[in-house]
Amino acid sequence: MATLTLAPGTGWTERLLPAVRRALPVAVTAVVILGGWQLAVRAFDVPSFIVPAPTEILAAFGHDFGTIMSASRITVQAVLLGLVGGSLLGIAVALLISRLPAASAPVLTAAVVLNCAPIVALAPIFNNWFGVTSIQSKAGVAAVMVFFPVLVNTTRGLLQVTPLHLELMSSMAARPRQVAVMLRFPNALPYLFNALKLGTTLSVIGVIVTEYFGGPSNALGVYIAYQAALPRFEYAWAGILVASALGLLMFGLVGWIERLLTPWQEPDHDDLMS
Amino acid sequence: MTTTEISAPIIAVDGVSKRFNAGTDKEVTALENIDLAIRPGEFISLLGPSGCGKSTLLRCLADLAEPTGGTVTLNGKTPRAARQDRDYGMVFQQAGLFDWRSVRRNVELPLQVAGVDRATRREKAEEMLELVRLSEFARHYPWQLSGGMQQRVAIARALSADPSILFMDEPLGALDEMNRERLQGELLRIWSDTQTTVVFVTHSISEAVFLSSRIVVMSARPGRIAASIDVDLPYPRTAKTRTLPEFFDKVTEVRQALYGAPSDQAV
Ligand SMILES: Nc1ncnc2c1ncn2[C@@H]1O[C@H](COP(=O)(O)OP(=O)(O)OP(=O)(O)O)[C@@H](O)[C@H]1O
Ligand SMILES: [Mg+2]
Repeated sequence: MATLTLAPGTGWTERLLPAVRRALPVAVTAVVILGGWQLAVRAFDVPSFIVPAPTEILAAFGHDFGTIMSASRITVQAVLLGLVGGSLLGIAVALLISRLPAASAPVLTAAVVLNCAPIVALAPIFNNWFGVTSIQSKAGVAAVMVFFPVLVNTTRGLLQVTPLHLELMSSMAARPRQVAVMLRFPNALPYLFNALKLGTTLSVIGVIVTEYFGGPSNALGVYIAYQAALPRFEYAWAGILVASALGLLMFGLVGWIERLLTPWQEPDHDDLMS
Repeated sequence: MTTTEISAPIIAVDGVSKRFNAGTDKEVTALENIDLAIRPGEFISLLGPSGCGKSTLLRCLADLAEPTGGTVTLNGKTPRAARQDRDYGMVFQQAGLFDWRSVRRNVELPLQVAGVDRATRREKAEEMLELVRLSEFARHYPWQLSGGMQQRVAIARALSADPSILFMDEPLGALDEMNRERLQGELLRIWSDTQTTVVFVTHSISEAVFLSSRIVVMSARPGRIAASIDVDLPYPRTAKTRTLPEFFDKVTEVRQALYGAPSDQAV
């Protein structure tokens, strides 16, 4: 660390410049990929049922804009419900088992094992349980997928406090409650956010895949599956790209909340989104 | 120093022993029959080779470990009661700051644990940061500070609740020579400003001589007190103190207590 100043940016240019510097490589990469894609499709005359050109996808997106957007709204609701529900449950169980050291080891082991199971495979079963068109069946799968990483990470964060810090708290005669609030919770926050960032992607996957197996006619996953079956692949692709954008957006949102809630973290590496 | 001799000890150690893993083949006698009386306002160094039980003794005083024999009294109380009453502050070998707290909020920690209100603890923390000369870093996070600065924050934190006793376990061990000597000077200034009783663990002879009013020399396996040496160099001690012949005489005396009389043999 050469500079230690934390002074707020003095001018607009100084604040804007880093943002531009961060965004530029992403923009250049996007242009190169899309341009290359377009050229390749045109040059090799790839039929659009294999890979449509970006311009075709864009045209499809423009044509079906209203439908796709309303489908996204339905899907985003399920994604958010699943993400929030799964996270809250994961945090609650983590808090519980971190208080019971004897229970934490077997529960964590079970969680790690279950985490390896392909939970999306539960999609048709959830549709059967909660009704194909219900939001609960989609959010349910997403919640289960989010639950495990949140549980495992948060428990780690709560338990893996430095022995030195525990001794320090004990030397100050801190009560267990104070140790939890002042030491364990803040220690667990970065762990939790890592899980949440993972969770955004998982939640989108969970909802979309469950929708493939049937859902309200105006959901994004249903739309993609339907267009692919028609087959109108450029429309399917438009839906897929919107789904990716949703995942990205939510990842960015979680990253933004993370920076608000953990301002002590060094601004660095894993922060691609800004 | 006749005035200090008549005052009652603030820390009394009577026949303290500490045995780890008693009854197993890994049994270690870390401390054996330690007697020690420390008067208010003394600056005591516990000096000895690695593994002789300095940290163990300090941890017994601080109620972070329990002696297997003997008794410890702090301010006339058991160590447990003294810890509950927050009679002492502790500085560890590593600063141990909370990454998620600004420097100022790290210093506030003991006050917050003690339930002091926000305004008071903020004021107190700022006063402490002035004491360790880090006022302009109050809003920084620990990772933005050098190791020496972090250790100064840890000292400010230990002092923020105005403890009558300060325990320090090799607080300067991780620092380079220059920072170390500067902090030694600052520590003496703080000590004379705050009138705290200090128990300071080190394995540096010159550090012990420069800082202490008395050095307790320990020997290893089992940990025992080999000598108690008064350091009568006058305070305030400065960089010049380190160049005085009396300083070197004292260093030699302490070294002899540690290793025995000097000989031509290689050590
Ligand atoms: N928790 C423990 N369990 C078992 N043995 C221990 C434990 N803590 C310390 N010991 C043993 O007690 C002895 C004294 O250890 P202590 O840490 O007090 O030494 P020290 O004088 O502080 O050494 P150093 O200067 O290296 O810090 C050592 O032999 C050590 O192995
Ligand atoms: Mg030690």
